[in-house]
Formats: sequence, structure tokens, C-alpha cells
Amino acid sequence: MKRTLLVFLALGGAWVAYTQNPQGKQAPAQAKAPAPFNLIKIADDLYVIDGGGAGNVAVYITNEGVIMVDDKYEQHFDEIMANVKKVTNQPIKYILSTHYHADHSGGNTRFSSIAEIISTRNAHDGIVQHKQSNAPNDMIPARVTFTQETDLFLGGKEVRAKYYGRGHTNGDAFVYFPALKVLHTGDMFTSASPLIDYPGGGSLLEWPQTLDKAMKDLDFDTVIPGHGPVSKKADLLTYRNNADKMRTRVQTLIRQGKSQDDVAKVMTAEYNWQPGSLNMQWSLPGMMTELR
Amino acid sequence: MSRTLFVRLSAGVIALGCAWIAYTQAPAPQGKQQAKQPNNTISKVAEDLYVIIGDGGNSTVYVTNEGVILVDDKFEYDGQDIVDKVKSVTNQPIKYVLNTHLHGDHTGSNERFLPTAEIIATKNARDNMVKNKAPGLMRVVFTDETDIFLGGKEVRMKYYGRGHTNGDAVVYFPALRILASGDIGANNGPNVDYANGGSMKEWGATLDGVLKLDFDTVIPGHGPVSKRQYLIDYRDVATKLPATVSSMMRQGKSKDDIAKVFMANGGLWVNPNVVNKLDQIMAELKN
Repeated sequence: MKRTLLVFLALGGAWVAYTQNPQGKQAPAQAKAPAPFNLIKIADDLYVIDGGGAGNVAVYITNEGVIMVDDKYEQHFDEIMANVKKVTNQPIKYILSTHYHADHSGGNTRFSSIAEIISTRNAHDGIVQHKQSNAPNDMIPARVTFTQETDLFLGGKEVRAKYYGRGHTNGDAFVYFPALKVLHTGDMFTSASPLIDYPGGGSLLEWPQTLDKAMKDLDFDTVIPGHGPVSKKADLLTYRNNADKMRTRVQTLIRQGKSQDDVAKVMTAEYNWQPGSLNMQWSLPGMMTELR
Repeated sequence: MSRTLFVRLSAGVIALGCAWIAYTQAPAPQGKQQAKQPNNTISKVAEDLYVIIGDGGNSTVYVTNEGVILVDDKFEYDGQDIVDKVKSVTNQPIKYVLNTHLHGDHTGSNERFLPTAEIIATKNARDNMVKNKAPGLMRVVFTDETDIFLGGKEVRMKYYGRGHTNGDAVVYFPALRILASGDIGANNGPNVDYANGGSMKEWGATLDGVLKLDFDTVIPGHGPVSKRQYLIDYRDVATKLPATVSSMMRQGKSKDDIAKVFMANGGLWVNPNVVNKLDQIMAELKN
């Protein structure tokens, strides 16, 4: 019980940190300094680079090069390179992007000249069409895109990137490491409540269904969330159920005739969605329409 | 029948015959070729788009200001000639090689290009190459669609279902309305590779999918650059032929009768390969 409470508090803390330090070009002035960089070992050949207030980077080492998942903001290039060098001399050959937001794909600006970047077609289009209002103007999209699945084979190892449907955006890829039974979910699972980027094609209604498809299709034990601590499959299921509960809660309010302001107050009280936060900007108006 | 027509038809038959011989001898296993000399020509199809015709499958060359996207790379002994032919039209390096399917007359130079280019194929094509212990395995595969964005240009590679194999991709150049069909549109017949998941039954439906793309020009896997109508006709035959065979089998017709119908009604596909595969085709269409 104590342990559960601690985890709950820790998640809550991370959530507050996340929601206050979201996917913008710059952290809001009142926010704390971005978290320091941490290199977390998951397996002999798989690491997570956490920190910078940006998405979790996965580093998969093969004897023909490194496959990375996401590349944080542009300004994190040197930190990422330094952390990769701590565990391998192999060059970064591929970057699989989970989605188009600047805190996950901003590094493309630097990495695109040294690595092949691959994302969903919709993530590519999201960058080209500059759908993220607070993203830098010079973001570089992937040159290679896919719609349903792409697999990478390097140094005798395989990595699978899959699209299962809408959620955080309309182009979220899950990246699966079959040999390790590890899944990187991108922002379809974080230590915060769901941030639905409706301008970027997101959907709270479809979010749980998308997670259901991923959980049904893939055999994994360990989950690297888009933000927050490395977790287990059971945690992803809990997150899925909480997303569905949030959907039900909001849908009930809307169907009771509550206004957007009323719903906003509930979201602040129950989900810590702060006034002016990205949740309020990107998610609330879209939810009012989608869940009507 | 007028004499002129007879002569023309005879010439046509002889030409087709030569094409069969060339084709049936062409996809010989790699390694048995002793220092074969490449014999290819490059010609312009549209602005920035060229085709290299000669040995093996047709190669398509799309030039951008950030590099060249190449579709299929013929036999191993054609690698240097492909590079030379590309150099004759641009100084840009070959950055991507898109394989329409696994066969060695389309993937033969993969090993040469792997260190310097990204090679992309369908997952099934790669799985077949692994199964066949074929050289030149690509690092990147896709299942439904992959798009390449290079130098402000876009190339779309799509899988629509079984046909020649179970991993045939078509490559579409939207800005030019051109399609490189691979061998589901090859002019040398419905060469169903059953060992690699091909299907006579599904070939027509696969081409139905392909024809949803908006293109005017077709670069087939083998044969001359053609118009859209060529692929429509091909689809019609691919749809009609299995239905005819199924119906004849239900009527208890003999294999010889079916072979004759195949030869007579095969349209584009009067090809000994088909008859050689008739047992397999009949086995598939019985179900």
C-alpha cells in the first residue's frame, strides 16, 4: 500500500512536471529548469535517455549502428550524442520518430544529416504543415515514411514501428523490440493524463482502442513511455483504462449540457489541467466537439 | 487474310518467340553468369525520370537535387552499368533503391548499393529473400505503403496484394503520373511464382487496387514503356483468365484443353511460362 502510494505520488509529480513543461519550443518562464539527463539501462543493448523536459529517447545498439527512437529538441543534440557515446562507439544510423512534436522530433534538424529518419506519413505531414502551433519553424520531417508498419534490420537485430490509429495525434508510431519484448509507446502513454492534440489529428475517443490494438498485437513486458519512468505492461493497461475513464467523465459532463468552462474547471480539479496549458489549448475544445 | 497481314502477324509471333527465349533464359540463377557483359540503354520518360531497359527487369531512375531514387537494380553484373547510365544523366548519387520484388533480375545489384544507398522493399519480399538465401537483403521494409521524400519530390511505394509473388510493390511518381509496376505488370506473362506466395486468383484484384492510382504512363517490370490502358487490359485478362480456367475445370475439361484456352485467350500472356505452371495454376483455382 505504501509502495503504491509512493508510485502514485511519484507519477503525480512527474505529471505536474510534464503538464507544466509541455511540447513547446521553450519551457514556460515559470517552469522549473528541465530535468537533467539520465541514461537508463534496460538491457545490454537498449538504453533510455531521459531528461531535458523532452520525450524519452531509446537507444538500441547493434554491431552495424544504433537505432534510436525519437531525438528530443534540437538543442539536445550534444547531450544525446554524449550519452550514446557512453555506451557504444557505433554511429547512429536510424531514428524512428513516434510523432511529429518538437520534443520528440525537434532533433531531426541536426540528426537528418547523419541518420535516416523514419516516421509515419501523418507525422511527416504534421511537420510539413506546421500543425504544432508552438513548434520551431525549421523542423525537418523524415525522408522515409510509412502508413501501417515498417521494420528495420540492422546488425542481425530487428525493430518494428507500427501505426494502430489515432490518439495523441493522427500519426503515433509504437516502436517494438521483439527480441527484448520492449515497447516504446511515444506519447500514447506518459506519466501525465492524455494530451490530445486535436489540431494534429488526435482523438480521445479512439485513444483506448488504439492502445487495445497495440496490446493485442505485440508481445511485450517492458514499456518505455513517451515521458516518465520505464514501466510494465500492466501500467500501460492502467493508463488505457484511465484514458477511457477520462473520456467517460468528460462525455458525461458534455451530455449533461456543461459548458466548455464548466468542463475546464473539472479538468483542473480532477486532472490538474492548468488554465493556459496545452491540455486546455489543444485538447479541451476538441473534446467538446468529439465527445458531444 | 491478306499477305501483308500474314507477314505482320508472322513477324509478331517471331518477335514474341524471341522475347520468350530471352526472358526464360534471363532469370538464370546468379553466380552461373560468367562475366556477362551488361547490355542496357537509358532513355528519358519525363522530366527527371528515366528508364534503363535491357538486362533483367526495367530500372527506373528519378533524379532529385538531393540524390537519385532508383527502382530495381537488375542483375549483379549490371551494377556498374546502372551507375554509369545514371551518371550519363545526372551527377547526383543513388540514395534510394526500391525493389519491386525479390527476384534476382530486380535485386541483383543490391549488394553493391547497400553500403551507399537505402534499399527498401515489402516485408514479404525480404522474407522471401531470407527463405531463398538471396544476397543483398535490405535493412528497411514496409507492409502497406512507404513514401520517400527527397529534394522536394515524393515517391510512393505501395503493396496491393498477391500476384507475381506475395510481396510485389508498385512505385508511383505522383507529380509525373507515372507508375513503375514491377512484374505484376510485366509484359511477359502471368508468371506466378507460387514458391514465393504468388497467386493467379488474386492477381486481377491486386491490379484493381493499383489502378486506383492516378497515372497515365506505366513502366512495366519487363517490356516497353506503355500507357495506362496497357495495365487496364492486363487487369482484364488477369481477372478473366482464372475465372475461365475455374469454369473449365468444373466442366471437367482436360489439362490440354485448358492449356489451349490459355494460349488462345491469354491476350498479352501467350507465354510458355504459363503453360509450364499450369498444374500449379489449376491447383490454386480448384479451391
